[in-house]
This record gives sequence, C-alpha cells and structure tokens, in this order.
Amino acid sequence: MFRNMLKRSFLSIKRKLSRTIILTLIFFMMANLVLAAITIKTAVGAQMDYAKSTLGGTVTIQADMDAIREAQKEEIENGSDRKEMFKNMMRPAITVETANKIAEYSDYVKDYSYELSTSANSADLEIVESESGSEMPGGPNGLGDRMRGSSSSSSKLDSDITISGINAYAYIAGVQNETITIKDGTYFDEDSNDKAMISYEFAELNSLKVGDKFKIKNVYTGKAVELEVIGIYDSSEERANANAIYMNIETAAKFLSDSDYNDGEYDVSNVNYYMINSDKAEEFVEKINTDFAELAENNMKIAVDTSEYDAMSSSIESVGSFATTILIIVIVAAIIIITLIVTINVKDRRYEMGVLLSLGAHKSNIIGQIAAELLIVGTFGFVLASVSGTFLAKAMGQSILESQTASSAQQSERNFGRPGTQTRGGSSDMPTPPEGAGMGGSNMKQRMLANSNKDVKLDINATPIDFVLLFATGYLVIVLALILPSINVLRYQPKEILAGKE
Amino acid sequence: MNTLKVENVSYSYMNASGEQQVLRDVNAEFEAGKIYAIVGESGSGKTTFLSLVSALDRLQDGDIKYNGKSLRKIGGSEFRLKYVNIVFQSYNLIKYMTAKENVEIAIDFDGRKVDANKYLKQVGLSEEEGNRLIGKLSGGQQQRVAIARAIASNSPIIVADEPTGNLDEETEEMIIDLFKELAHKEKKIVIIVTHSKQVASHADKVLKLRKGRLN
Repeated sequence: MFRNMLKRSFLSIKRKLSRTIILTLIFFMMANLVLAAITIKTAVGAQMDYAKSTLGGTVTIQADMDAIREAQKEEIENGSDRKEMFKNMMRPAITVETANKIAEYSDYVKDYSYELSTSANSADLEIVESESGSEMPGGPNGLGDRMRGSSSSSSKLDSDITISGINAYAYIAGVQNETITIKDGTYFDEDSNDKAMISYEFAELNSLKVGDKFKIKNVYTGKAVELEVIGIYDSSEERANANAIYMNIETAAKFLSDSDYNDGEYDVSNVNYYMINSDKAEEFVEKINTDFAELAENNMKIAVDTSEYDAMSSSIESVGSFATTILIIVIVAAIIIITLIVTINVKDRRYEMGVLLSLGAHKSNIIGQIAAELLIVGTFGFVLASVSGTFLAKAMGQSILESQTASSAQQSERNFGRPGTQTRGGSSDMPTPPEGAGMGGSNMKQRMLANSNKDVKLDINATPIDFVLLFATGYLVIVLALILPSINVLRYQPKEILAGKE
Repeated sequence: MNTLKVENVSYSYMNASGEQQVLRDVNAEFEAGKIYAIVGESGSGKTTFLSLVSALDRLQDGDIKYNGKSLRKIGGSEFRLKYVNIVFQSYNLIKYMTAKENVEIAIDFDGRKVDANKYLKQVGLSEEEGNRLIGKLSGGQQQRVAIARAIASNSPIIVADEPTGNLDEETEEMIIDLFKELAHKEKKIVIIVTHSKQVASHADKVLKLRKGRLN
C-alpha cells in the first residue's frame, strides 16, 4: 500500500509537470523568505549576544549636580554669601583608591577608566588658535577641570594648555571614536612617566619632535613639570582642542599640589566602569551603593549608561522584528496559497480519487499520496532555496539593517544638533563636571552613537540549525495546508464521484 | 464454494418529488465459477444494485454476505480491496498513467509482484500499447485496460457494468471468453450488468431487475 502510494505520487509529480513546477516555485519562494528570515534572526541573536559582551554598558561615577544645586539653594536661603560660597565650594570627587577598589569587582567590570585634567601654560610655548581666531577652549572637554583646587580664587587664569591624564590611552575619547590617530612616535602607557602626547598642530607650531622635552606649569597650583614628547597625534575632529596634551595618570598627578596629591589618594574625574554584560549594570550599581555608601553622601551620582548597546541593539532588534514579521507573513501566506492550490488540485483529481477508492484504497492512503507529493516537491523547493536563501538573507538583512541604522543615525544627528544637549544643568558660576561618561561630552557621545550605529554589521550565514528550522517550518506549512483538503477527501464517497462520471 | 449472498436489500433516496424506492427487498445468491448477467430497463436499479454489491455505496436495509461474512463487518474499502473488482462502463482509468501503470496500481494494492503486461496481453493489448498514456488509447482499448485491471487484481468477485459497450464484435467475443475463463477456470464470481442480449446469452444465469425487484 505504501509503495503503491509513493509510486502514484511520483507518477503524478512526473506527469503533471505544470502543477509540479508551480508548486516547486511556490515552495522555493516561500523557503527563500523563510530561510532569509530565520538566518537574519539567528544573526540578530548572535549580534545581540556579541553586543552584550562587547558593548556591556558603562557605569559612571560623577558629581550629582542636582544634589549640589539643592545644597547651594539651601545655603543661600540660610543667608550665606553667594560669591563666598562659590569660591569655597568643593566639587565632590572620588579618590583614585576608591575608583581602583570598585574596579576590582571582576564579575561586573571588564575595564575602567578615569581622568585627571587641568589647565597649564608656558611662557616658552605658542598656543594653537582656533579658526575663529580665539584660543582653543580649556579643559579636555571645553568644560572645567579637577585641579582648580581649594587654593585657587581666580576663575580667569591664563590657561592655554589642557593637561589630560588618563589611566589608559585607549579610553581617550578621540581614540575611542577613532578621530585621533598617532602620526609620529607612539602612545603612552602606565609606565610612560613624564611622557606625553601632543597634537600635530601644537608640535608644528612649537617645532617639537618625538623625544623633545618641554616644560609646562599648572595654572592653579603653579607646579611645573618637564614632559617628553612620546607621540604626536592627529585629530580629524573638527572642533578638536589642538592644545590638549595627553599623558598617563601618574604624570598628570605630578601637577597636583602636595595637599591635592594627598600621598597618592588624589581625586579623579570621569570615572567609568565598562561592564562585562549590560544586563548586570543595575546590579553593579546596587553593589557600589551598598559597599560605598559614602559616595552618595558626598553628592556623587552613579549612573548607568547602556546607550551604546541600546543604540546598536535597537537597530538590530528592528531587523529581528522585521524578520519575524516577514516569517509570520510568509508562513501564513504560504499556508493559504498551498491550501488553495491543494484544495483545487483535490477537486480536480476527485475522479482519480474515486477510482482509487473503488480499487480499495483507504482515504488515509489517498491523503498520504497528496502529502507525499507535497513533501517531495516541497523538499525539492527547500533544497533549491537552501542555496539561494543565504544570499537573499545577506542582501535582505543588510538592506534592512542599513535603513534602520540610517534612521537611527539621523535621529542621533538630530539630537546632536538640538540645543541643550551639549551640557546638562551647567551654571555659569559653577565648575561643570564633564558629561558623557568620559567620552568627551554629550556631543561626542551622540556622534559616537551615530558612528557606532553606522558600523553595525550582521554576520548573516545560514547555520545547520537554520536549515533544520527551514525544513521543519516548510513541513509544518505542508501539514497545516493539508488539513482543509484532507477534510474534503474524507467526505468523498466513491459512488457519488463515479456515478457522476457514469 | 465461495458465495455472495444478497439478503433483503432495499434502497431508496430522496429527491424533489419525494422518496424514490430503487431496490425493494432484493434477494440473490451468486456462486463462484458462474457468470451472472443482470439485465433490466434504464432506471430499473441496475447501477444501484451494482454499487451495493461492489461496496461502492452503503447498505440501507438488508445485508450482503460473502461466504457468510457480512459486508457491514468487513467494511466498504476492505471489501473493495480484497473481494471485489469493478469494470466500469466509462472505464474509470487514471489519465496521467499509462495502461500498464493503471494495471500495476491494482496489482500493487494486494501486494503481489506480477507483470502487468500479462493481463494486458489477455485483453489483446500489446506491450507498446501498454506503455501509452490512457489519453492516447481508443475507447475500446481503454475498456480493455479497465478489464485487464479488474482481472489483474486477485479479487474473487468481478462486477462489470456494460463491459463490452465500446468494443467491436471480435473483441467482445474475446472479452466474453475471458470472463468465462475467469468464472469457469479460476472460479471467480462474475456479475455483468448489460443491455446486450449477446452478452447475456453467454451468462450461466440471467437475472432481471424490474421496478427494483430482482427476478
């Protein structure tokens, strides 16, 4: 019986070529789209996992400006002298020791960075002027710095050069967003004491080469340090500060006054912890809040920033949702189309089925024949689609991703141009802490997010599991598409069919 | 001896003018090794009788028994598969298959491995004709394929509805001889519904259906 059924199926497929070709094409098209959608979804899943591990999010410890403002307000209300209050006000900070202790939570922290920045000048050095004719803004982010110190009373010091000490070269904002490249020499590391990287413009203006030495003086503390040029960098950033000098944290700490240096327990800013997994960021914050309660008491705020992961994941998730939508639409459409074709086919072959029933074939055997025909033709279509589907998936996935990232990037660019996004809550009288988790402020951050979005790529390649899913989905579609036609077959009575013919 | 018994079979259906009684309390006994001819006017209930005997239709009243076993117990499709084979007036062949494949389907159903050409040869069709698609054969050739399919299956009962209607005299003779051989030598029950006096004259027993009653 089974052999007979298969024989009939093969004969029907072979002899009814036009129907076979139409069905094969339908299965082929369906399978292409299904494989494309499945492959894209797999790639999205893999990319999301990768993004979680590589863009694990950042936890930033910074001054809580709202809390500071609240404290200021209270003092003014209590009759304090506004000028005197601002003069003596200490910006809350975290010590390098605490920052290092927090970095020891290895379950959460993949890496970390902090900065020590200040302003310096030198009577012997020329300063690079901006295109508009003014000197470049002070501070690494054009904002303020950590070394103003309690002894300083002047807010208009002649600060031309920006000293930026950072614990790792890789965490300089310009290096992270790939706008800074080494033109000559090399980058600094933790052992590069008294060595610094200067900009190409600054080097040209002052005829400095790698290996040359120059002396600069902290405008606040008056401490002068002689530095050796270890590398000359070039920045493609339009508004880059060409007077910024980068060095390791130990070298930057030499510009501190003895009291600020505090036997090596000096304050650092822009403290960022790069998470192993963005999902654990909140848990990490909880842990810091518990173990270092003094931070909150000291008006320090712990903020979670998963925007880079979110920006990337939103584009990828959109592609994943799009793929899911395609998958659902294709499956539903395929079930409907194949049901219609098989129903029409069963009606067309009513007479043949009457003959088979008159020969003693069971109805299940006849349904089996239709199923076998669909499975054989379907398998052929799926195999063909296994070859072409991967290419379609690549083209489709990348195209969807490009449109998604383009719209995300446009959104980021729009946000970048929006007033009020460059600084948050800054007061003209108050030193404003840098924003943007050490990436160089929110402008930089927005640009980085836009750039990181543009760089999102999906590695779309069908895996063996994708092929298994394709065949499983295809066969499921066939089974579902067979339900209605099978009911028709079950209702057939040979006499009614053949009597009509007689 | 194998026997097919029709016991008190009645059959009716409803149409616009009410209930139509097609068969009334029909009783008959068919023995192996004999040819039976069922004759009667149009509308006398011949086709209905044939449908019931071949289990193409469901029994309403009465019973049909093969060797004492009720058709109701055996089940329609099982009865058609194992006990009866039908030669239809309009051949009822599967069009996308060749003559040989149509015969093979019937052989395959009972799991035997026999060359279909043997049966095609018995009905006067060559191997070349056997390899033609049904549409490429004349009406007479198609009728012979239908007969070959019926004899190819190993069923003990052969029911034929006007089996020689489209055949020339010479082939008709050949087919009648074939039915005789099936009945007399192979001890099958052969029931032929016919209008042809010539065919009826070769039957061992002629039964007349008139107004739903068999005489």
